[in-house]
Amino acid sequence: MTPLLEIRNLSFAYEGSTVLVFDRLTMAVQEGEFILVKGPSGSGKSTLLRLICRLNQPQGGSILFQGNDTTSIAPAKLRSAISYVAQIPQMIDATVEENLLQPFSFAVNAAKPRPGSEELREMLRKFYLADVTLEHSAMKLSIGQKQRLAIMRALLQEPLLLLLDEPTSALDQESASMVFSIMERLNTEERKTLITVTHIDYKPETVKPLTYTLANRSIHLR
Amino acid sequence: MNQIINISTGQLLLALVFILIAQASSFIYHLGLNRDITIGTIRTFAQLFLMGYVLTFILKTSNPFLVISVFMVMVISAMFIIKGRVKEKQIPYIIPTFLTMLVSYLATAIFVSGLVVGITPWWEPRYFIPAGGMVIGNSMSALAISLERLFRDMRQQKELVEMKLSLGANYREASLDIFKNAITAGMIPSINAMMGVGLVFIPGMMSGQILAGTDPLIAIRYQIVVMLMLVGSTAVSSVVVMLFVRRRCFGSGEEVLLSPR
Repeated sequence: MTPLLEIRNLSFAYEGSTVLVFDRLTMAVQEGEFILVKGPSGSGKSTLLRLICRLNQPQGGSILFQGNDTTSIAPAKLRSAISYVAQIPQMIDATVEENLLQPFSFAVNAAKPRPGSEELREMLRKFYLADVTLEHSAMKLSIGQKQRLAIMRALLQEPLLLLLDEPTSALDQESASMVFSIMERLNTEERKTLITVTHIDYKPETVKPLTYTLANRSIHLR
Repeated sequence: MNQIINISTGQLLLALVFILIAQASSFIYHLGLNRDITIGTIRTFAQLFLMGYVLTFILKTSNPFLVISVFMVMVISAMFIIKGRVKEKQIPYIIPTFLTMLVSYLATAIFVSGLVVGITPWWEPRYFIPAGGMVIGNSMSALAISLERLFRDMRQQKELVEMKLSLGANYREASLDIFKNAITAGMIPSINAMMGVGLVFIPGMMSGQILAGTDPLIAIRYQIVVMLMLVGSTAVSSVVVMLFVRRRCFGSGEEVLLSPR
């Protein structure tokens, strides 16, 4: 069975540096898996996710998505199928609704079904944002609320793979628990494939994750 | 009325009083501009006298290759001035900017000399060089402002651009606001000039023609052509340069190449 994502001999060094962050890193992700990537600060956890969705370019090796080299897929199409949520959630200076519908303003998502207001309100409830209205200014939300909204927005374009970069690093305990709960539910109920990088000791309660550790410029399954 | 009053060397030197005032202001208030004012004054004298001799020579010889060569030198000089002001090291913007400037300014100057003014030949130096000079000078400032704004905003808003890319935007969609703001910032001085012309200020070219004895009604017609030409050439060169340079801010995977300073 073709893996959803396959990384082959990936090598990467930051611009202007000769020190390799990854040296011939190889891994495969099957559909429906819940992957946790752990590692100390500076081990390249965020970089790995950015390489997968081509926000950074590797010096060597290849990344295959559904068996196709990601460099052969139009970047916008790739990022519509592999959605990346950054560590610090970014919002445009507009309402919650406008932020949530932003993916549909881009050509690649134009033909996808656009959720109605009621559907969005229902989603907000599922994302523990029942007290947030669609007319609310997104800029005035707390960081925890923004993080949940960012995950929700990424999901609206119905990606096949969701990449979450330290989704709880800036959150308090309560908000972090909500995000973890959402992640697990996405995997168990909606069969979403997730790769989450984290430096904290998170043990999912309802899913059995595949935990990888980044060390010595490569990745190892625990 | 057509008698032109010459300015003698002594009278010219008398005008340096204004520079002394500027130097005194800088000295009294510790503005640190004395060196720049001195260099600027020397360059004004040297460059304009040099230009005067070159123009006299070109007007006498009336050689199209010479006219185009002078035009080329003006564009290259403008490019160096832009390079000095923009100071961008990561993105190679010089070649697309230079080529766009050359083509768009040449087209504008030819259009104005050959079609609007209707001079034959179109490269007649008396019209072509001043028209070219005004286009280059005006657009050069606009381009420097636009480029600086583009690079600054791309750096400052990198996370926001990447967020849009992550939601399926292509590089044009992800940087649309930055692109529009950069062009607007460069265009505003030219548009403001159109608003204020004749009310707030009398432009240099029109003043020069009137001082040289031209009928003010003819001078304003030239000035209107010049104002429209400047806005048009600034718009075209800014849009084309921004289109090329914006693409260079993104890599082959449409990833943002600019890293924070």
